[in-house]
Amino acid sequence: MALILFYLRKLFSVIKNEVLVLPSRVVVVLFFLFLLLVPLFTKDTYLLRIFTLTSIFAILAASWDLLSGFTGQMNFGHALFFGVGAYSAALLNKYGGIPPWGTVPLGGLGAVLAGLIIGIPCLRLRGTYLALTTLAFPIILMGLVFAFPNITGGELGISGIARLAGSRVADYYIAVVVMLGLCTIMWKITDSKTGIIFHAIREDELAVRTSGINTTRYKLLAFSLSGFFAGISGGIYAHFMRIAGPSTLEVSMSFQVVIWAIFGGIVTIYGPVGAVFVLFPLMEFLRFWQEYRILMFAAVVLLILLYMPDGLFRWLRDKIEKECPRCKIRNIATRDTCRICTASLD
Amino acid sequence: MERWKKRIFVLAMAFLFAVSSLTVASGQDTIKIGVIGPMKFVQGIGHWNGATMAAEEINAKGGIQVGPRKMKVELVQADSNEFLSITDATTAMERLIARDKVHFVVGGFRTEAVLAMQDIAMENKKIFIGVGAAHDELCLRVAKDYKTYKYWFRGSPFNSSFLGRTSFIHLGTVGAILRHSLNIPKVKVAIAAEKAEWTEPMIKAAETAIPGMGMEAVGVWRPSAVATDVTAELSAIQRSEAHIIFTIFSASVGIPFARQAGELKIPAVQVGINVEAQKDGFWGATRGMGNYVATMNTYARGVESNELTKAFVDTYVKRFGETPTYTADTYSAIVHGLATTIEQAGTLDPDKLVPIHETRVYKSPSGTVAYLKDAEGRHLHELRWGPGFLTALGVQWQDGELKAFWPNKWKATPEAPEVTYKGMVPYKIPPWMVEKFKK
Amino acid sequence: MIGIYLELACLPAGRGFGDWNLRYNMALLIIDIVISGLISGSVFALLAIGFSLIFGVARIVNIAHTAFYMVAAYCIYVVTHKMGFHPIWAMVIAIILVTLLGIICYKLFINPIREHEGAVLIATIALAMAFQEVMGLIFTGTYLSVPKLINGYHVILGVKVFYQQILTFCVALLIMGVLWVLLTKTKLGLAIRSTAQDREVANLMGINEARVAMMTMGVSVGLAALTGAVVVPLTVLEPHMWMHPLIMMMAVVVLGGLGSLKGSFLGAYILGFAEALVVFLAPMGAFLKGSVALSIMILVLLIRPEGLFGVYFEEER
Repeated sequence: MALILFYLRKLFSVIKNEVLVLPSRVVVVLFFLFLLLVPLFTKDTYLLRIFTLTSIFAILAASWDLLSGFTGQMNFGHALFFGVGAYSAALLNKYGGIPPWGTVPLGGLGAVLAGLIIGIPCLRLRGTYLALTTLAFPIILMGLVFAFPNITGGELGISGIARLAGSRVADYYIAVVVMLGLCTIMWKITDSKTGIIFHAIREDELAVRTSGINTTRYKLLAFSLSGFFAGISGGIYAHFMRIAGPSTLEVSMSFQVVIWAIFGGIVTIYGPVGAVFVLFPLMEFLRFWQEYRILMFAAVVLLILLYMPDGLFRWLRDKIEKECPRCKIRNIATRDTCRICTASLD
Repeated sequence: MERWKKRIFVLAMAFLFAVSSLTVASGQDTIKIGVIGPMKFVQGIGHWNGATMAAEEINAKGGIQVGPRKMKVELVQADSNEFLSITDATTAMERLIARDKVHFVVGGFRTEAVLAMQDIAMENKKIFIGVGAAHDELCLRVAKDYKTYKYWFRGSPFNSSFLGRTSFIHLGTVGAILRHSLNIPKVKVAIAAEKAEWTEPMIKAAETAIPGMGMEAVGVWRPSAVATDVTAELSAIQRSEAHIIFTIFSASVGIPFARQAGELKIPAVQVGINVEAQKDGFWGATRGMGNYVATMNTYARGVESNELTKAFVDTYVKRFGETPTYTADTYSAIVHGLATTIEQAGTLDPDKLVPIHETRVYKSPSGTVAYLKDAEGRHLHELRWGPGFLTALGVQWQDGELKAFWPNKWKATPEAPEVTYKGMVPYKIPPWMVEKFKK
Repeated sequence: MIGIYLELACLPAGRGFGDWNLRYNMALLIIDIVISGLISGSVFALLAIGFSLIFGVARIVNIAHTAFYMVAAYCIYVVTHKMGFHPIWAMVIAIILVTLLGIICYKLFINPIREHEGAVLIATIALAMAFQEVMGLIFTGTYLSVPKLINGYHVILGVKVFYQQILTFCVALLIMGVLWVLLTKTKLGLAIRSTAQDREVANLMGINEARVAMMTMGVSVGLAALTGAVVVPLTVLEPHMWMHPLIMMMAVVVLGGLGSLKGSFLGAYILGFAEALVVFLAPMGAFLKGSVALSIMILVLLIRPEGLFGVYFEEER
């Protein structure tokens, strides 16, 4: 009893001192709670489907940020990882008979392999060269998909694979929990020593190398990690849609990921995730204006960028929070002095 | 600045409210039919037009008799955007079922999308009549797992193997015409097929069928389905000295292929399937260079497969200003298919409608519809092909007009009765072909 | 991938030995390949030069480049079909209007966020999507076509070639010449070149960098419009037509070296020939032509990471 009380008190103090002090943390907690509680309030399969797909794409967008945002390795062919994950999960399920809980991680590993295969030749390329070269890989893979229709089903894709789970609510929970878990892991990675090295590579690769760090290894690590997470999202997508087709490899898919990530604000992880949760439901919401849907979407992206070129969520965070000039701790924007070191905030 | 922002916020909120209240309001005593398709493209427009005509016709008569009540038809349009995004297609389908609470769904075009949409409709036990996708797999699923997939029916076109069989008959017909009128002893055929999975079985079949018809296959060319320049392929085909190009196109490549072949006066006639050539816009899109191109088609002005065709085609042309293509068969799927089945069953319960619908044989504007069973006697919900049932037409562009040349005194087997539809014209050989081969 | 390609490529060649008649056919085949390679290479070159120019000068990866090409094509359609003017006028009007449109878009959407590389990138993607949708709303998704400047074809060494294709080839050469003169002989060219080399120093030397970037954007978009005017009569018009050339155009530019006009020109013909080789030597694999061309690009980059003629900028290490 005393132990429970102790933990309760500890939880309470953590909430009071760590969460409630910063609006962004409150938002994150509310976001978690909201997603986990949605099915209690609605059984609308349409709504659940949208949130499931949004979660799947949130993983994808966050994984792009891990590679391209943090390491600065502009990847314009992120659909490759997604597609490889989807196709390997589908193939393993259809021909290997492995259930989804096995195929999805294996699909992720397949995508890691793809990450290494394209990562190694691309190590020598930088910036725009890298971006435009990576754009080519999903298209080449698409050529292969069409060249071996016996295995891949050509333009029809691999259909009739196992469902993710029995019901829409179960699908929803799997996607949401996996998304929350993976995004937390990604966020933790970027907060770790590895993440700092990733970040440093983006800023000045030469300086990192002169500090005695094998940047090649870290860049490959970034490619594999990002590939793994994207592959998992591809695998879940395939099992949720019950089809893995060439549309997962299309250029528009790669572009979509970049739009999400940059719209939300790169080098944050939470930015891309938030952006998917804004833009994907927005696309659905705009259905009432069917003809103007994509046009409105483009307009929203253009206008937001014009005012918030660093991304929507970075802009929002800067509005509600201030950084202490002395100890670099974040504070709510309404405070006049820092909550830790009491330096004045301006 | 602040006030301006506030005003925009208020406006946006008002707008949101108006929209959400609009979507809630809807009727009660209607039969809701979801029409799903790529609404920004010709295929989706066909779906919608056909369904609109059907709903207007039914509602003008007071509706469908469901047991004691007359119920009107209400259409719900859903843009699947399936050419660009499969995800969009599935959410559109889910929305139709979960939000709009439709009773039936018609439409669908791109097979990858239809397979995914089919799964959603089946999960929710909604009757889904596919109008557009031709792949066999869609119906094989019914045989494999009848309990789950029995709510799926093929509306049009018949499956790809029947499509293949019909186009080989067209090929044979045109080959015979060339042989007789141009004195070509051995007619050479080049196969031009877009790179897509549905064409694979047709190419394989063509490679064996062509020698069987006493012709010679000289090669297979596989441009991408969305290629815009096929001059390279055309030069190669001309180099192969083919007399006939057997086309298997469903996508945009059909236009540049026909246009460039016409401009370069490639001395070979085109027969087979060219979906783009079925549309009225083809003449303009090829700038008249698609003259003499022949393709399989479902409808043509002035051609009657049965007594229902003329009324349908004429009304459609008058209403929408163009000849219907096969995606407009949403009309017959609703009017001749669903409506009658519902009246016979007297209920909207899909489990009661399926056994009635799958055994029905009924006339539609494109022919008589009957559903097939597979070799083991399992239901396929696949359209039956053949004389007396659906056959499709062989049509040719002749100086700006799409004319039908087949079936004209066609015998499926030597003992079968001759089939000729009303409004047939003779096939025309392009003048530059005549010039080159006639001595 | 490369394995299949080589295997398929060997088949016809192997058959040709020893048989004179077949060897004659081989000669014709080579002519075919050369001519269609030159033509598709010219199309790529026209697009790639404009794209490369604006990247070299302003470091803008303009994904909407081919979308401007699409808009120009629709412009020509309107002027010739709806107003009934001669195609040549349509061409002039389209180039002027689209150039203006390009400059306006640059001023409104790109210039304010130029310092944010990522934002510029997706702004151009969004622009391209917006153009696609607007064109889709006005003209629907149906396939349209525009008239050729010169109708008919000519038989060159037994290969039928459209006059329009010959025109494309000539225009590509002409544009290359004009650009060379513009860049090396005029004051604007000097300004463009110096901005391309070092933006900051150019600015310090009294060159109005923002204006040079805008002018370059104009020239680049104008080139896209011109390409549209010359190439589109050969193909079909539809709102999504900007996607396909986009990939090839980028591949050409990367292959040739970003910002290098010479490189883009050469890269265009290399990939053009690669495509033609696939179509003629492996007709069953004609759909692979894009994949093969992209694989070639990657192979070249493995050996020369900066492309054929690209240079690394020190500030960007």
